[in-house]
Amino acid sequence: MGDLVEIENLTVAFRSKRREGFFRTGPSLKALDDVSVTIGENETFGLTGETGSGKSTLAKVLVGLYKPTSGTVRLLGREIDYKKRKDIAYLRQNVGIVFQDPVRSLNPSLTVKEVITEALIAAKSIPKKDYDERINFITKLVGVTKDLLPRRPRELSGGQRQRISLARALVVPKKLLVLDEPTSALDVSIQAQVLNTLKKLKSELNMSYLFITHDINVIKYVSHRLGVLFYGRLVEVGDTRTVDTEPKHPYTQSLISHVLTLKKAGLQETVVSEHRPAPSGCRYRLVCPSAFERCATVPHWVNLGDSHLVSCFLYDRQAGKETHALLPTPAAAVTGGDLRAPPHEHS
Amino acid sequence: MAVDNPGETDTRQTLAPGVSGRPPQVVRSLEESNDGKLLDIKDLTVDFVSVDGRVRILNGVTLMAKKGEVVGIVGESGSGKTTLGLAILGLLDSPPADIVSGSVVFGGRDLLKLKPSDMEKIHGTGINMVFQEPLDSLNPVYTVETQIGEALKVQRKRQDSPVQVTEAETKKVITDLLRNLCIDKPEEVLERYPHELSGGMRQRVAISISTIEKPTLMISDEPTTGLDAYVQNRILGMFSAQRKAGETLLYITHDLTIASQICDRIYIMYAGRVMEAGETRGVLQEPMHPYTSTLVASVPQGFEDAPPLSVQLGEPPDLRNLPSGCKFNPRCPYAKDVCRETEPKLEEIFAGRYAACWRVDKELGRFS
Repeated sequence: MGDLVEIENLTVAFRSKRREGFFRTGPSLKALDDVSVTIGENETFGLTGETGSGKSTLAKVLVGLYKPTSGTVRLLGREIDYKKRKDIAYLRQNVGIVFQDPVRSLNPSLTVKEVITEALIAAKSIPKKDYDERINFITKLVGVTKDLLPRRPRELSGGQRQRISLARALVVPKKLLVLDEPTSALDVSIQAQVLNTLKKLKSELNMSYLFITHDINVIKYVSHRLGVLFYGRLVEVGDTRTVDTEPKHPYTQSLISHVLTLKKAGLQETVVSEHRPAPSGCRYRLVCPSAFERCATVPHWVNLGDSHLVSCFLYDRQAGKETHALLPTPAAAVTGGDLRAPPHEHS
Repeated sequence: MAVDNPGETDTRQTLAPGVSGRPPQVVRSLEESNDGKLLDIKDLTVDFVSVDGRVRILNGVTLMAKKGEVVGIVGESGSGKTTLGLAILGLLDSPPADIVSGSVVFGGRDLLKLKPSDMEKIHGTGINMVFQEPLDSLNPVYTVETQIGEALKVQRKRQDSPVQVTEAETKKVITDLLRNLCIDKPEEVLERYPHELSGGMRQRVAISISTIEKPTLMISDEPTTGLDAYVQNRILGMFSAQRKAGETLLYITHDLTIASQICDRIYIMYAGRVMEAGETRGVLQEPMHPYTSTLVASVPQGFEDAPPLSVQLGEPPDLRNLPSGCKFNPRCPYAKDVCRETEPKLEEIFAGRYAACWRVDKELGRFS
């Protein structure tokens, strides 16, 4: 079973708008900084992090809406050249997306049926006589009642709109479906139905998911593997169960402990201050309770076994290994099948 | 100053007005434990009238909130939660809205009978609402400082404080408020416009506008929906602080996990009706109504290999075409004949616990 998507050292930077004369002078903002992820076939990779951590940026790179500043994206072994139209078309043929904001992602002047039909027309591969059948099939799956089809997005509730976005993405089968907060706007009972549907569809249609959400309860329930982003940097990757029950990175630990659940009673009384990312080194070091001098340099990946990787010097020290501060080095070999990391750091 | 500060009027007055023709049991028992009742909604029925006809959005909603309580209103979209909030505030446009019957007694006065000019004086310092989408409730052309400052001005005016406050003082009050909401560098945020802020930050600004007016009753409509765990914690932490300060909060949400964390009592709504009500812990741990059980079972738990979530079959109700009998019966796994024929009334099962279901045994005090 090969990897469907391989993302290597992906960096996406947005340039500041500040200008001095002709030249842009402001610092560029790295929405994603040296992120390497692979998504296997039939796998659900969960990506979580706070607002502004770069989750959506990664989603948009995968459908060709943003171009990487550096790094490579490979889909089914083919490296995507973001300058070539053909490659972008290839990307979109195989990757579908459901956006976070259902209000802005639906054309207000089209009826629901037209919105979904557009996706069928754009795919070009489906005969016209099958349109109705596919629309019926998909709307039923995502919980859109038939009477909604002739209506326009503004007449619908937020939950209904998001279900239509989902129908539009799934009406043509894809290899990878990027789900950017697909259930955040849905009611719990509809969310449960959608999650069940997504799970069922994945195995039936031989699809992989990149599931992006800040809702840890949801991501735990859907994903095989989990990656945690903090201000553009991946800090921990591993099997969902391992990351959830034994989080290693101080940020992941803090994040998991702040998750609200149905059973846990009472709010955390400690107030979390706004997270300010450090400009260099480990981005979490300004807030991290266990930060020390070495954190001023960018931490490398430490393999804790079972492809559980953490980007934190703490575990390096615990392993009792003599390592010198490393700058991010170009990937040399694939380790653990998950992340590219310098080979000499792995135990 | 009774007019300007309705919350400070004697709450015992709530006993007096507008109680004739009330539905039997429920109201009586609510009234017995009446002391400190700040908001008292009885039999509120609201229709929306359009060219296609009349649609009943709220049907005989009875709800109350005591002073200092956090009351949750939980339900799916279309269950009438937001309409209820807007009806309390008198913000329903008429047409299309038509308040058919009922009363909303707040601080001893029926808000539905107030003149618009009197109602305006209640807005802000009496009852305040935080809406789901802060971008829609913030003015895009004013800075954060101006908008919070405006609310502060209203609050001071209503207090009738003769002391003139300087601009610098106002700024300090606003900065401190934002800092309490864990906003980093509040001085910088003050200069910004709503579109320059992140979703969580915008929502906190919207909430701070509401809190600075120190309302007696705050209604918040899905204030943390779509925000991440940290921001949710910050906002909820702020609400609990307000509860400690004695403020009453009506918390509208579809998220049971949040309701379980913050609410003292919850009302479960479905198709414009209250299906179940009671103390939060009791309702969520031992639900009586099958609808509540399905809601609880819909919360994702466990990992990828966990079994599928048990969910209601079928779609949310179409308000224009509701079934006869119990409105939940098409989705209910326990429906029997009586459920399809006659609609059950919201009845008190035991002290403080209400349910509208034929299958709840009053003798046993549970679902059977």
